[in-house]
Amino acid sequence: MTATGATGRADQSFSTRLYRATQRYKHWFFIAPALLIILTVVIYPIIFSTGVSFFRVTFASQSRPFVGLQNFERMLTNDDFIESTFNTLYYVVFSVSGSFALGFGVALLIRRITVGKDLLRLILIIPITMAPIVVGLMWNWMLDPLFGLINWFLDLVNIPEQTFLAQAATARMTVVLVDIWQWYPLVFLIIEAGMATLPRAPYESARLEGVSSWMIFRRITLPLLRPVILVALLLRTVDAFRTFDLVRVMTDGGPALTTETLSLYLYRTAFTFNKLSRAAAGSILMLLVIGLISAVMFRYLFREVGDS
Amino acid sequence: MRVPTSERALAYVILIALAALVLIPVLFGSITAFKPQIIWVSSPPTWIFEPTLENFEFVFIQRKGWQYLRNSLIISSGSVIIALLLGVPAAYAFARFRFRGSKALMQWLISLRMIPPIVVGLPFYAMFLFLERGLNIGLRDTYPGLIITYQTFLLPLVIWMMRGYFVELPAAMEESAMVEGYTRLGALLRVVLPVVWPGIVATAILNFIFAWNEFFLALILSGNRTSTLPMSAGTYIVRTRVEWGNLFAVNLIIMVPVIVLTIILRRQLVKGLTFGILE
Repeated sequence: MTATGATGRADQSFSTRLYRATQRYKHWFFIAPALLIILTVVIYPIIFSTGVSFFRVTFASQSRPFVGLQNFERMLTNDDFIESTFNTLYYVVFSVSGSFALGFGVALLIRRITVGKDLLRLILIIPITMAPIVVGLMWNWMLDPLFGLINWFLDLVNIPEQTFLAQAATARMTVVLVDIWQWYPLVFLIIEAGMATLPRAPYESARLEGVSSWMIFRRITLPLLRPVILVALLLRTVDAFRTFDLVRVMTDGGPALTTETLSLYLYRTAFTFNKLSRAAAGSILMLLVIGLISAVMFRYLFREVGDS
Repeated sequence: MRVPTSERALAYVILIALAALVLIPVLFGSITAFKPQIIWVSSPPTWIFEPTLENFEFVFIQRKGWQYLRNSLIISSGSVIIALLLGVPAAYAFARFRFRGSKALMQWLISLRMIPPIVVGLPFYAMFLFLERGLNIGLRDTYPGLIITYQTFLLPLVIWMMRGYFVELPAAMEESAMVEGYTRLGALLRVVLPVVWPGIVATAILNFIFAWNEFFLALILSGNRTSTLPMSAGTYIVRTRVEWGNLFAVNLIIMVPVIVLTIILRRQLVKGLTFGILE
């Protein structure tokens, strides 16, 4: 109270000042609880993993010697880690490009129809909402070499039975195709939503000037859709990069590790081989890579959105 | 838009083919759930049979399906309720107050969408283990343990979705309520929430779907007591033999509620799935 008098603001009682202060920072009363939980569930794990990755820790061990960068070194020189990284990149490249091309195509096609549009859209988006584990089990059944529908169909046209998931040559692409099956509707929904917001004016003037529809698409539609396209690519990339459930139920990384993704490999390192700190080091590396990819895409995205 | 008939016909052919590619596995897979065990697998596939509910009976009674269903319901709705309680006020503040760092904080929240589940799951497993051994606090294989970890993907999504709904409302609404003597919180509860109710329902439904389908964290952090439906689906694959009829019964139990919710939600779906970045 004396401080109040000394600064010449005797008219303001402590409680008014407290009230002013709470008014000024009132947004924090709304945000703080949520932020506290988010910090616990997101920041804590990252700090923990970073910390643990400099020690040698298993779930059972009593001593936890400091080993510096050894875990990272072991990870980066480990053949399985390198192979699963390669597999993950394969998965990302083909699943993202496949689902993007198909999703974009469907978004263009569905504008050309009228009757049954809502029903078709509804059917097409069913896969997004299914649990990846259910999708995987369902396609295991479809692909079964003995009685699956696909082999039954191949049989009808006299193609011998195929064990798509058991052969190294086909397993990877098969899983990727199922992933595309599940996620291209997401690209479709995003692009369609983006197209719905396009302004009409540039199209009308272009048409008046007799510009071909391909040029309209390239010079008007694509540039206007850039932010939307970036969102679709960003979401698909991070989801493909961290994929786990689908691969886990379809092949569990096999045959001969050809479908082992990073998530699957790190899961195994930690829970099958009990190498907690090495898996932590691997997950930090994975986080760095995915962070880098999304940071680059993010910058583009927010520059775009900021401009428009 | 005027479209030539041939072009439209081609669009129909392709779209119907793609729809068939969805419906064929979903429907033909699902009817296996109603087949008696003797024709679960057959080559060529059996199309005509007398439907039975014995697979569901087996899954629910012999294999504790009720328990998995109950766990899934408790964990999914519990984590959605927590996410809404914490997220809705935060979303409101982000929509209404401009303060230093608010934009950066929102962007940071989207970036959480990118974190691989393994990065979160592993430390939580370790933390639960150490808490159990060191302090005798059991969180592994408990509802609160899973509900807390599910906030990693639910809470940021709730904040982003709900912020979108709050921004659409005119600020004058609460301001006039506050002139009439409501506090900010009172205005939010009595004036804003009743109007934004449909948005809350949509947010809740989408988050429920995500929690309901979640597999990875449940795999690491649940156990006998808290196993969820997606976890139980995995138990029907024995190394040499898959119990297809039972498996598809479980698949249907997981899938049907989600499809129903999707039909209800379809107009709001894009907003949720894209984290509302598109606005």
